[in-house]
Amino acid sequence: MNLLDISKQAFVIAFLLYCVAFCFYVVTITGKKWKNHEPQQHERKWGRVSFVTSTLGLITHLVYVITRWAWSGHIPVSNMYEFMSFLSLMIMLAFTILYLIYRKALLGLFATPLAIIIMAYAAVFPSDVQPLIPSLNSIWLYIHVTLAAAGDAFFAVSFAAGLMYLLRTVDFKGTDKSARRQKRWLEITFYSIIIVVGFIVSVFAFRASGYEAVFTPKAAPNETAKVSSAREVYNLPPIVAPHNSQLESADSFLGFSKPLFEVPGWFKGVNAGRKSNTIVWALITGTILYGLLRLILRKPLSEALSPALKGIDADDLDEISYRAIAIGFPVFTLGALVFAMIWAQQAWGRFWGWDPKEVWALITWLFYSVYLHLRLSRGFHGRKASWLAVLGFLVVMFTLVGVNLIIAGLHSYAGTD
Amino acid sequence: MITNTKCECGHQNPVGTVLCEACGKPQHEEPGGNSSELLEMRYDGVARRSQRANPNFIDKIWNFFSSVKVAVYLISITLVGAMLGTVFTQETMFINIDPSVYYKQKYGTIGEIYYLLGLSDTYNSWWFILLLVMIGASLVICSLDRVLPLYRALSKQKIRKHMQFLTRQRVVYQGPISGHGEEWVQQAIAPLKKKGYRVHTDGAALLAEKQRFSRWGPYVIHIGLIVFLLAVLFRGLPGLHMDEHYWFTEGEITPIPDTNYYLKNEKFTVEYYTEDEMSEEFRQRGKAVPKLFETKAVLYKCVDNCNNPLEEPELVEVDRHNIRVNDPLNYKGFQAYQFDFEETAEIRSVSPTLVDQETGEHYGKFTLRMNDPETEYDVGPYHLKLKDKYLDFDLDENKKPITKSGEPNAPAFLFTITGPGLPEDGGQFIYFPYLEQQKFFGQDKLNEALGGVNNKLRFDLLAMEDVDFIRSKSYLNIRIDRAMPFVWTGLGIVMLGLIMGFYWQHRRIWLRVDGDVLTLGGHTTKNWFGMRREVSSFLKSMGIEVDEKSLDNGGNRS
Repeated sequence: MNLLDISKQAFVIAFLLYCVAFCFYVVTITGKKWKNHEPQQHERKWGRVSFVTSTLGLITHLVYVITRWAWSGHIPVSNMYEFMSFLSLMIMLAFTILYLIYRKALLGLFATPLAIIIMAYAAVFPSDVQPLIPSLNSIWLYIHVTLAAAGDAFFAVSFAAGLMYLLRTVDFKGTDKSARRQKRWLEITFYSIIIVVGFIVSVFAFRASGYEAVFTPKAAPNETAKVSSAREVYNLPPIVAPHNSQLESADSFLGFSKPLFEVPGWFKGVNAGRKSNTIVWALITGTILYGLLRLILRKPLSEALSPALKGIDADDLDEISYRAIAIGFPVFTLGALVFAMIWAQQAWGRFWGWDPKEVWALITWLFYSVYLHLRLSRGFHGRKASWLAVLGFLVVMFTLVGVNLIIAGLHSYAGTD
Repeated sequence: MITNTKCECGHQNPVGTVLCEACGKPQHEEPGGNSSELLEMRYDGVARRSQRANPNFIDKIWNFFSSVKVAVYLISITLVGAMLGTVFTQETMFINIDPSVYYKQKYGTIGEIYYLLGLSDTYNSWWFILLLVMIGASLVICSLDRVLPLYRALSKQKIRKHMQFLTRQRVVYQGPISGHGEEWVQQAIAPLKKKGYRVHTDGAALLAEKQRFSRWGPYVIHIGLIVFLLAVLFRGLPGLHMDEHYWFTEGEITPIPDTNYYLKNEKFTVEYYTEDEMSEEFRQRGKAVPKLFETKAVLYKCVDNCNNPLEEPELVEVDRHNIRVNDPLNYKGFQAYQFDFEETAEIRSVSPTLVDQETGEHYGKFTLRMNDPETEYDVGPYHLKLKDKYLDFDLDENKKPITKSGEPNAPAFLFTITGPGLPEDGGQFIYFPYLEQQKFFGQDKLNEALGGVNNKLRFDLLAMEDVDFIRSKSYLNIRIDRAMPFVWTGLGIVMLGLIMGFYWQHRRIWLRVDGDVLTLGGHTTKNWFGMRREVSSFLKSMGIEVDEKSLDNGGNRS
């Protein structure tokens, strides 16, 4: 068993430990209402158990990073699999720091699932160690990427705290315009999270079954040489086919073996067909999952979750959300902008080139500086601030994932598959 | 209308003051009103510069830019603008396109609209740059408007504050104490000092304060951003900035246009990862991954005969560096970056031997450089004079030799040879260094047509060493950027300000004892949780047990 094998094992163990820790956090919060229980003692005891478990997960996760680093000779943040996994590690680290300051077990109830989802998302990407190309071979890879991820992780915790604040304070019985609007958006937020889960579930389900379908572009026979390079391989049953393509081979799924639609011609880009097919699958699986949850719970997800937050001080949540941003903002500035500029100057000879990834890092920074300025004004705390924290995380995730998937640029080597 | 701005404590406040500069009593409240709302503690309630009674034209502009609200709008608009710029690839990313056609062709009508709106070059558009300039103005004016009054207010704080000032803070404690007020206050000094506070007392009143410097954090950030923005703005001025790409042939010294520098590419190396260095899974993908691009470079500076084409320039070696991706050559602001490379099989020079076709006798060897051949050669008894040189040889419609391009694709050399067995005025001889081109263009036929030499002589390459190939060329990005030190300084200042402002908080505790009632008010710029904990721990050390949360007076959080 070499270091790489150990690393792979550690990844799985860390993932499982996070899942267990999440269950413990659920017990910590919901168990307070159990009979024959002293609520405070219960929370103290189970809070400690949960925290120890999530910390064990964090340590195992660190083992994954260190062994993989030792094996490959470079820090594992050089492709999408490694980066997403590292981001979830950083989220757990940021959560641990804020937990140690505020001692709120409840934060774990929201931070751990976030880390779990991101870690599972990482596993969607090919996990093999890739040799480091010369443009990444720099000390700044270590500094820039780790610090940027750390900054983003604090924003993620702020998102978790902001979301909790909203769940705690939104009046689910209210019928006025503002209450209804907030309920709706909160539910949309949860629906979007479930879509991401749906994406992960469908990818893994079909990967386990080894599904494959292959498309080739329709082309004149004399262009066959080009054709073989432009093949698109689907690992999810094709609902959407690439534009102007023909099916070469497809495994059958529930009797379907032919795509239902074709991607419109204006949708350009590398693997546009496969990407849209994946999105359609994520929407379908996510919606089914969401529907099932609604059937079981018999009420909107956000409303079903809100009782867990009864008795929590909303002001504390607001403060944690703000504090996480206040801690993360300088880290993000240093990691994602300043060090990024230094590296860009060294690698490409210009510190700023309006590359989409750079622009989106700037957008994230501008967004949180708006948040910080608004926070100065009267009345901009609690509800409005929490919504901004939630929205901010969307910007962060778009910068990290969306830019790589949708807009190609200099950062495209980050392994979008 | 003249407003009376004198506080009841006797202090004359400027117009716009929220809290009396001396005692902290809230101004502009209904007389007799008993508001218990939290106080607005921003900038300590002082009047900002922009709060003038009768603003004139300049004041109005000042007031516009001094508003945080305007700043937030400016940042938000910039944010949205920046987003729009990432919808389609910007025209600056392409080396050679016609944007007026490209966007329509590639993205259809949406692309055309995108181009017509000027979004295809968002970041150089007038409105985007105007936004940045306005943000710059806002940074300066917002800061000046607040920092000066705030500095004045913080440097002359009155210790004894108005009762309302204390009870309307966010952290408040009020309760009975035993003993004499002044003595109690004296005892409170030690525990507060232990927590790092600077303590000032005035009879039965006390002011404890720490980490005031963090208050200047935001203004330091703004100064840094201004330095950065100015550096970026002035970077574009001529002479401060150069950004060119040139090819550097291996083994040659190449002059760099518009500079005094010459750069020699001694050796270019490209390395690929071996299979042993790859993981099992990656090996199966069968991809070759480059590991290293390196140009061993020597930089020379010209010291004499620089612009004289007749004389050889005199060069002095000034720097030597192995240029790699992520590791440029940097000599006093002159920078060379590894950008691209090309593997070639181009001939640098040949050393043909002059052979007698009839007797087979070897008369000798001479070296012919492709780029700068000498004009005359003496080989054995023969004299060779270079009459013409074609870099990219071809024949035009009239069968006249021409050069198709400036690229050395098919070099050919036309000599006039004089010597024994040749006519008095010499014979014409054309020579192609590339063997395959000798056949392709028919060197022998051409020479027959030229006449004079009459097949008496030929040029032969006898050994491998007689051909010197250029194996590769390195493409380097040459840059000079005089504004960079200012860019880095600006960013450094920003970081300093961020750390000052976000990782420390300005905390103040005011106390007063009236009879046997203690009133405490606390204020911090951030982290109220920590502030409450600190106040509670302080009170505990004074023998008063208070729950942390009960100190919270609720209300505005910032």
